[in-house]
Amino acid sequence: MIRVRNLTHRYGDTVAVDDVSLTVDDGEFLLVVGANGSGKSTLVRHFNGLLDPDSGEVSVDGTRVQDDFVAARVAVGMVFQDPRDQLVSATVGADVAFGPENLGLSRTEIDRRVDAALSAVNLEEKENDRVTDLSGGERERVAIAGALAMEPTHLVLDEPFTGLDEPARRSVLDRLRSLHADGTSVVVVTHDLRDVLSLADRVVAMADGRIVVVDDDADSTSARESLSNLDVRLPTEPRPPADDPC
Amino acid sequence: MLSYAPDESLAHRLDPRTKLLVQFAFVAAAFAHETPQGLLALSAVAAVLLASAGLSPLSALREFRYLLPFLLAGPLVSALTLGPPWVVVADAREPALASYRALLVLFVTAAYVRSTPVRDTRAAIQRTVPGKLGQFLGMGISLVFRFFPLLLADLRRTREAMAARLGDERPVTERIQRTAIAGLNRAFGRADRLSLALRARCFAWNPTLPALRFGRLDWLGFAVAAVLALWSVL
Amino acid sequence: MATSTDGVELVGDETAKNIARAALFAALMGAFGFVSFPNPVSPAPVTLQVLGVFLAGIMLGPVWGAASMVLYLAAGAAGVPVFAGGGAGFGSLLADPTLGYLWSYPVAAALIGAVVHRGVSLRDYRAASTPLLVGAMVAGTVVIYAFGMAGLMLTLGYGIAEAFAVGAAAFLPAEALKIAAAVGIVRSDAVAAA
Repeated sequence: MIRVRNLTHRYGDTVAVDDVSLTVDDGEFLLVVGANGSGKSTLVRHFNGLLDPDSGEVSVDGTRVQDDFVAARVAVGMVFQDPRDQLVSATVGADVAFGPENLGLSRTEIDRRVDAALSAVNLEEKENDRVTDLSGGERERVAIAGALAMEPTHLVLDEPFTGLDEPARRSVLDRLRSLHADGTSVVVVTHDLRDVLSLADRVVAMADGRIVVVDDDADSTSARESLSNLDVRLPTEPRPPADDPC
Repeated sequence: MLSYAPDESLAHRLDPRTKLLVQFAFVAAAFAHETPQGLLALSAVAAVLLASAGLSPLSALREFRYLLPFLLAGPLVSALTLGPPWVVVADAREPALASYRALLVLFVTAAYVRSTPVRDTRAAIQRTVPGKLGQFLGMGISLVFRFFPLLLADLRRTREAMAARLGDERPVTERIQRTAIAGLNRAFGRADRLSLALRARCFAWNPTLPALRFGRLDWLGFAVAAVLALWSVL
Repeated sequence: MATSTDGVELVGDETAKNIARAALFAALMGAFGFVSFPNPVSPAPVTLQVLGVFLAGIMLGPVWGAASMVLYLAAGAAGVPVFAGGGAGFGSLLADPTLGYLWSYPVAAALIGAVVHRGVSLRDYRAASTPLLVGAMVAGTVVIYAFGMAGLMLTLGYGIAEAFAVGAAAFLPAEALKIAAAVGIVRSDAVAAA
């Protein structure tokens, strides 16, 4: 369980996250939505201690993140925008092994985790492929596998659909659905709600560093109404032009 | 471009540490025996090493064609004298031997590069160099290998975009500046995203080391390295 | 959570960032070697590799600038084709006639960084005066060509005059161009990284 209490984060004079409190339960599928600059990416980067709070505190499974970074980063796996810059090795299997190697696990255990993580994202066949030969959707799934190999209880994805075409987007969504079904808590940060709204248990909307809407039934009419006031892309709107793939 | 190519050759089946030993011993021997006889013997060794990696001398030579001007200039420049008789062939002897020695070492290196994936060399370094330095070099090599093609593509795109808008008409300093600035911004942007991802995945000083295992074939490699090393001190 | 996390020695945040930058800069160095421009004063085309050495010292400072050049050499030795002309392998560092230039890069980057930042700790390189920047890069160029010539003398048995003729004279004018370009890059605000 991730518990955020009265968290504030500033970049210079700008308050990116303003006194936010939030709990993410084990096993839940949470959407964090909001326009660019609303503070949603900054918020989730506190979940595993990638940023230091200016005030307030974040704990994972009862331990303050700053007291045990390794435990927090194992429990909360994180995937960022543009997997191209997150993959650290030239081949798929070696990249997925990176996290478990850092934990100092035995080679047998690492191999077991790599196999399990790749099968969870349907990429068993690609273990020896070079990451440069993969499609955008496959690269995104390798990045997810890299996080899964740490065996996290929570998987956080920051704008995972940027730059993906429709089939790739569906393949990623499909994997997230099955991970959630197997008991992993999934947190998706996005400004684009197409397809993903129906998967979520709960939705949190941010604006100007604060949580402005919390709805326990993400796909309800009331949620849609409150979200339509924010600058986010709702499922009924036409598809946006493809993002710059670079 | 000289690079690893998968194969089942003898050299491909050796442990990278064995091949590094052979390489270093060869260099030592080549510097110790810069004589026609010595280099002749080493030519035979180099030919065997090339063959063991499935490379022909001609294709190896092609990989180093950019160095040929340097290798040829030495003997030529040395043979020339100001004043009669203008050309003294005997003066070219030493530089010619040195050029040939350099070429032999490059052949042996070509055999290594062709038969050894970068991750194996990385593993060899990480298992040989202790502590943080080993991890820094190992991770660094892996990251350079991963990001070099991306940055090369970034630079190519920048140049194409500039050429498409007639940027080639501008002064050369300005073009160098624009290309370098684009490359720097790409590199720094990628580095910042990468460092976030490294931290999220528990980037550590003491990871599980990559697996490497000496096999029976490696004894053959050790023997070759030992003979070369011995010969270089005799 | 089944995983024991006690023995894991995390790389510090600042160091992780510096390693990522050093590695990406090393990769950029390799890519710079593939970008050539016509040389206005000589038939030998200009690649941007030496510009990479200058910028490593200036932007990353003496320690990480040199570290980045060490990674460049290590990656090339390990088989990433980042050396001039797509070369690679330990032989390039041990017996290649151009080995002197390669070995000079970490030294030159450290020297340029130490002059521009006036010591080991980093300052804002944009605040450095133009004479200081130019002086640092001239010193770096001297190091690069001194090492380069020494390498030619060592591997090919050249005399010093031959080494200068073959290994420096044709290339030096283009270095002035790169120094000018580097000053322009530092002075422009177009590079986002501090």
